[in-house]
Amino acid sequence: MASGVTVSDVCKTTYEEIKKDKKHRYVIFFIKDEKQIDVEVIGARDEEYDQFLTNLQAGGAGECRYGLYDFEYTHQCQGTSEASKKQKLFLMSWCPDTAKVKKKMLYSSSFDALKKSLVGVQKYIQATDLSEASQEAVEEKLRATDRQ
Amino acid sequence: MAGPGLYGGDEIGALVFDPGHNSFRVGYAQEDTPKADIPSVVGVAPDDSPKLEPESKPDDSNISSKKNKYYVDTTFLHVPQPNMELHSFMKEGMIENWDMFEKVLDYSYDKVIQSVSQYHPVIFSESPWNVRAKREKLTEIMFEKYKVPAFFLVKNAALAAFGNGRSTALVIDSGATHTSAVPVLDGYVITNAVVKSPLGGDYLILRAREMLEQMGIDLTPATMIVAKDVVREKDKPRYTRRKLNFQVSNSWMSYMVKRTVVDYQQTVLQVSEGPYDERILSNIPAVHYEFPSGYHQDFNNERFKIAEGLFDHAMLGAGNIAATSVGMCDVDIRPALYNSVVLTGGNSLLQGFTDRLSRDLQSRIPGSMRLKMISANGTIERRFGAWLGGSILASIGAFQQMWVSMQEYEEAGKALIDRKCP
Repeated sequence: MASGVTVSDVCKTTYEEIKKDKKHRYVIFFIKDEKQIDVEVIGARDEEYDQFLTNLQAGGAGECRYGLYDFEYTHQCQGTSEASKKQKLFLMSWCPDTAKVKKKMLYSSSFDALKKSLVGVQKYIQATDLSEASQEAVEEKLRATDRQ
Repeated sequence: MAGPGLYGGDEIGALVFDPGHNSFRVGYAQEDTPKADIPSVVGVAPDDSPKLEPESKPDDSNISSKKNKYYVDTTFLHVPQPNMELHSFMKEGMIENWDMFEKVLDYSYDKVIQSVSQYHPVIFSESPWNVRAKREKLTEIMFEKYKVPAFFLVKNAALAAFGNGRSTALVIDSGATHTSAVPVLDGYVITNAVVKSPLGGDYLILRAREMLEQMGIDLTPATMIVAKDVVREKDKPRYTRRKLNFQVSNSWMSYMVKRTVVDYQQTVLQVSEGPYDERILSNIPAVHYEFPSGYHQDFNNERFKIAEGLFDHAMLGAGNIAATSVGMCDVDIRPALYNSVVLTGGNSLLQGFTDRLSRDLQSRIPGSMRLKMISANGTIERRFGAWLGGSILASIGAFQQMWVSMQEYEEAGKALIDRKCP
């Protein structure tokens, strides 16, 4: 079941700019007029995770958003001496519990459309409060699929 | 935007129908509560009485040759009628008796919506295990008989998940006749991993009724009582019984007694936090309850003992069906499912249900996964979760292109529904 919301081309090109050219750190998407997913904010490469979170919640407690972030962390495989740097893209749907049911419904039913048009994202995260969207929680989820 | 026959849910008020075992929810999209909550039982009586009441519609001659009178909705059902038998039109979460179901639909259009079906697109919810034949039949009825301009069918579990802000979730729906665990992935129900158990609200009512009858408590429903006196606790009730000059049917009487027990169940029963332990629970304050007959007493342990049945069953306990359902899904999505367990259905409003289920699940899931339970707080949101989801879905601007229109139906036939509404 999908809501029929479409994804604008800007979303795709911005995504490619992050994925291939590493031009930005993150991007925040929103649904325009209940019809199309569009880009709201583009985060510069040197911005921190906290800024991403702030921008994600910029609409207030009653708003939902999607966020895509190029997450970096170091990972050490078992039996190796050197830690390697890893980069993973994750796509997050941000639907706070305080948001209106209609907003939540619109964003969660359109998430699939966004997922399908952004190919190559490693992890999908559904967050309803800060405990799920925090840097630690996200890192834990990204690490879960790494080899030990 | 559009004339009849084209999409246009936004402009002309789409209708949302959510059939359940306990009640049939009817209302306009975009509103936050259904307009009516009609019991899923219909009273049928042979039409021999000369007085014609406006609520009973004369039988359409093409449906059955017998002249029957139908009683729909609480107001008419709760009045004793000679020879009125009550039947449910639902069976195992699916519509079983189409004739009666149509009566209820007629009633909904007539009395609740008070408009003609041709003007309103209709969105219907269905149980995740609904069979193809029934989906097609429903589509056929809506287009052929009611001539709706557009139609859509959605699984109620998906609606409940959306309404709680999730597109991937494990939906635990505890309703009247069963409790089910339904995994939803990106808004699509994983039908082969649906697990259901027949333990729901009705089971609790049955157990409660057995217990109350064993205790020798008079369960005469309020409608049969004319006057009652105040008596002391545990004293024999003194009341005057209503005199009827005809015999009421057994099915009506047992339905009315059921309503009485429902009230008892909702106010008194409680799920204990941990597995049933008499010593701990006897410390919890008793709950006082007065029956319609005037009899009243305190209830202690027994109120936990009955509700325990929903959880302590080895195979059918709520925690177990949830774990089984997730176990049948792909390993990759299991963490995501446990991370969003959506609780819905009227029976989940039972006191302590949420806490107990979360405790049960916590002990079952692997340590590496995080459990998160999501449940709407309000009674309305929980009872009408699926309806609300449908109401919102139908009002979303972009959804308007998803409808199955009359035109499409005429071109492709009823088999279309399986393609357009998976």
